[in-house]
Amino acid sequence: MKPAFSIIFFTVASGAGLGLLALAALFDLVSTDTLPSQALWRSALLALILIAAGLASSTMHLANPKNAWRSLARVRTSWLSREAASALALFPVAALYLALAAKGNAGSARAIVAFASVLLAWAVLFCTAMIYASLKPIRQWHTWWTPVNYVLLGHWSGALLLATIASADAAAPVGLWILATVLGFAALAAKLAYWVWVGSRGGTTLSHAVGVDAGVRAPGAPASVRARLFDAGHSRATFLTDEFGFVVARRHATSLRAIALGLGFGLPLVYLIWGDGRWQATLAVALCCIVGLLVERWLFFAEARHTVRLYHGDART
Amino acid sequence: MRLGLTIDLDTCVGCHACATACKEWNASSKVSGALADYDPFGAEPSGVWFNRVRHFEVGEYPDNKTINFPMSCMHCADADCVTVCPTGASYKRADGIVLVDQDKCMGCNLCAWACPYGARELDDASHTMKKCTLCVDRIYDELLPPEDRQPACVLACPTHARMFGDFDDPNSAVSRATAERGGFGLLPELGYDPVNRYLPPRERPSILGLDETRKLLDRGLAALASPAIRR
Repeated sequence: MKPAFSIIFFTVASGAGLGLLALAALFDLVSTDTLPSQALWRSALLALILIAAGLASSTMHLANPKNAWRSLARVRTSWLSREAASALALFPVAALYLALAAKGNAGSARAIVAFASVLLAWAVLFCTAMIYASLKPIRQWHTWWTPVNYVLLGHWSGALLLATIASADAAAPVGLWILATVLGFAALAAKLAYWVWVGSRGGTTLSHAVGVDAGVRAPGAPASVRARLFDAGHSRATFLTDEFGFVVARRHATSLRAIALGLGFGLPLVYLIWGDGRWQATLAVALCCIVGLLVERWLFFAEARHTVRLYHGDART
Repeated sequence: MRLGLTIDLDTCVGCHACATACKEWNASSKVSGALADYDPFGAEPSGVWFNRVRHFEVGEYPDNKTINFPMSCMHCADADCVTVCPTGASYKRADGIVLVDQDKCMGCNLCAWACPYGARELDDASHTMKKCTLCVDRIYDELLPPEDRQPACVLACPTHARMFGDFDDPNSAVSRATAERGGFGLLPELGYDPVNRYLPPRERPSILGLDETRKLLDRGLAALASPAIRR
């Protein structure tokens, strides 16, 4: 799949924002005084900025954005519609949470709004992931590892942002560092598991796609014969080759995976375990993680092989 | 009703007449608007097509065969392109035809991603998704003589490799051809239940079977060679 930067930025930025919002509100719910209200409202504000920036970026992917308002029409079937609806519902709730946290009065109203913020943030994150996971023709995406990755990676980058904000005025609570470290290892495990899963599965073959097993072969030839592309029927790039024809060379993929692992997980985890917890260093590490996740997300698109590639000559997906 | 096409891979000669006839008819279609051409007289001509013909080679010599393979929308019974569409622009009619409402499409490409057959192409001129309409503006046009109320690709095919009809009617030409010839849908395991059927090459009895031909050739060569060997 063509790695479109608008979508890569959208999923990484709003993923981090949603993770940050969910974790801040969760901390507030579970133990009200762990994080000062200053850290809570700052987190909610940064989360809203990241989510809004991400959504704005995602509309740049639309060829005809003037019809974007119609994207709420198919909530019953479309994950993109569900994402738009839950994101739209999130904004007023998260803004209300921001206001309540800024006022500083902890009470049942703030707890209810915090709870709603957590649920909506999770809903948006899950819907975003399901947009990709629901696509059957892209076997690298059509797996439960996709939502597991999106949810964990969003919370991992969000936890680093929360740690940055929490350590700005005073030392961040130990529980937050532990949670961030656990999320980091969980996200790393999910990413590795995804890569192993994607690499270990065989896809559909061109021979099957043109129906060799259904009888499309020379009379008397066995059903095991293979098909190959003779001529694609067009001399220049088409929408299909532009959108689905992107290939990343294997050696580049390997080095990019190493960069994604090092920046997205390795460095931040080393810092969490041995670092000094100053907010400047934590911020640098959070940004380093987000750069690593941008590389990871680029690979998520670049390494996905759409089934229509078979009809353009790929032997298998 | 389940309107769709059968495509006979035995008789298709890969001439692209169906694809060009489709392009010609739909260029002036009111259903989806003009189909854009990019750089049509330049060095890199490209454009939007509803129907593309690809050519494959199946098997190894001498048991090989060239397969000409036209592909357009399969008008799937369970069309994911419709379910993933967030705006409601993509829809399926009661007669089975899958269409895109050009006034609602926001050009997010998700339907094209959901289609394994490459049936949908974004038009960079109108910024909307375009796809085969099964010539919905021909097949119901009562101003046309009945024999012309068929998709342009079917009418254009010089070898009659394409047929149009209702797959829900067991007596329709497409249903009968599918039953007689073992017609199959592409990539059934995805569960989209594609309506269009491809008819595989016939197992025609040759005047001389391949094995007999080989035997005769061997015998002939032996007969030619034998005097020389004997001498």
